[in-house]
Amino acid sequence: MSSEFEISRSITIGQYVPTDSYIHRLDPRVKLLLFVVIVVAIAFNTSYIGNAIGLFLSLYLFWASKIPISYGLSGVKPAIPFIIILALLQLLFQGQLFSGGKVYVDYGFILITSESIRLVVVSAVRFIEIIFLSSVLTLSTSTTQLTHSIQSLLSPLKKINFPVHEISLITTISIRFVPTFAIEMEKMMKAQASRGADFGTGGWWRIIQRTKETFPIIIPLFNIALSRAEDLILAMESRCYTPGGNRSSYSVYKTLAKDYLVLLVGLLFAYLLIFYPFPF
Amino acid sequence: MEPIIRLENVSFSYKINEKTKVSVLKNISFSIIPGEYVAIIGHNGSGKSTLSKHLNGILTPDNGDVWVHGNNTKDTNNKRSIRQTVGTVFQHPDNQIVATIVEEDVAFGLENIEVPREEMKKRVDEALNVVKMSQFRHRPPHHLSGGQKQRVAIAGVLAMHPDCIVFDEATSMLDSFGRKEVLQVMRKMNNMGMTIITVTHHMSEAAEADRIIVIEDGQIVMDAPPREIFKHKQELKNLQLEVPSVSQMAEGIHQQFPDFSTELIQEDEFIDEVMKFSKVEVI
Repeated sequence: MSSEFEISRSITIGQYVPTDSYIHRLDPRVKLLLFVVIVVAIAFNTSYIGNAIGLFLSLYLFWASKIPISYGLSGVKPAIPFIIILALLQLLFQGQLFSGGKVYVDYGFILITSESIRLVVVSAVRFIEIIFLSSVLTLSTSTTQLTHSIQSLLSPLKKINFPVHEISLITTISIRFVPTFAIEMEKMMKAQASRGADFGTGGWWRIIQRTKETFPIIIPLFNIALSRAEDLILAMESRCYTPGGNRSSYSVYKTLAKDYLVLLVGLLFAYLLIFYPFPF
Repeated sequence: MEPIIRLENVSFSYKINEKTKVSVLKNISFSIIPGEYVAIIGHNGSGKSTLSKHLNGILTPDNGDVWVHGNNTKDTNNKRSIRQTVGTVFQHPDNQIVATIVEEDVAFGLENIEVPREEMKKRVDEALNVVKMSQFRHRPPHHLSGGQKQRVAIAGVLAMHPDCIVFDEATSMLDSFGRKEVLQVMRKMNNMGMTIITVTHHMSEAAEADRIIVIEDGQIVMDAPPREIFKHKQELKNLQLEVPSVSQMAEGIHQQFPDFSTELIQEDEFIDEVMKFSKVEVI
């Protein structure tokens, strides 16, 4: 019964797991760049084999970074309903657009072909791959490292007055507060439940009821977020933060030979995923 | 000695809308001398928190001036040097931690004032050492207890090498264990020569200080060492304040045994007095 309130456990974003593996020690900029490139490559790849390779890669990364796969699975779990709904919609309504291959069902507007099944399976797997990859990225890279690398990768944009540092700080703070708000939300759900509110008794298919259930939580959560933000501004200002000001950096990253090697392998991998004609 | 912070006839009001203003501080003046340990007490809504926000220029007075090391907080050019001189630790441990790793949060302020990296490393190590959080340096803050988070926040301020730290109800969200941890750190820093200003409504905490300023309705009503202040039990009661529990107990015992001193504010003093008494009784 207790599980319905334990939101903070199922959130993998912003939870750094320090196992000090090879993956952890990579230059975070290389990791972030490769993450983006490989996600794009996965999005381009429409073959079964290509996505199986992608899935294998993401599982391998969990192993290589010594992070228990359960972290990745708990990230996938809340996405399952979406994956299922998306798959159903694609299966029922997108058959006309992907009408190639063998026809299995042709009933009214519903057309299910081997191509549309491929679309459904591949996009579901893709979804899982991307969740896994982003979990590995955020679990093996501290958010400060991540934002430092966003900052460093975007820094050429400073020339056109793009607020690079501000963007990266906003990102850090929002990620930093994810677990805090999850814990807050748990408390709130318990408080509401102890006063007789219903959570999760409606069955997942009763979408309207379940949406209504969240209002007494979402609204106070907003309230709390705003007052926290106000406090945070004071604390940051007290520590001499000036928007747009120059800052020095605590973490400095050196790109070593091994980082370049990993970058090269990763780019090659992405190239193959996009351009190699997989037979199946 | 030249005061580190000097308030001269400070008045401040919050604007509710165009017409109504709520006056919070009324003509407050006092000075704080380097190395002092000052507690500011007052009940909720007395203006003590607003006052503490004036000490490093987060708020500036409507009338009057606040001087930090001779710099007026109204001058925006002084902002940075003022905030480097006077650091603040706030009430909510969670709402003042910016980074996702302890040591990087401690470095946040140093990054803002553009301290070179080598120096930064040294200062972060030092600050974490003072608050005894070195072994947690790579932890994410949400895995720490309230007292530990607050010590991280203190380290973040400490690393900037301020001359004075303001604790704005910094212990009110903590359990008694966490409070003890933070109080120990405060005492330690004061012994190192740091000026400490603590805004609190825990009287036992105020008793730790060398000087207490009592605020009521935006004005200073008492300004004296704790022992003096806690003699005025009735006045404090009228201000909705209490004396420390140690003093209350001493008072209770005094009613039974008139020789028992009522002027006790520290735990160890109380224990000594009890020891003295029990010896007399036995002999």
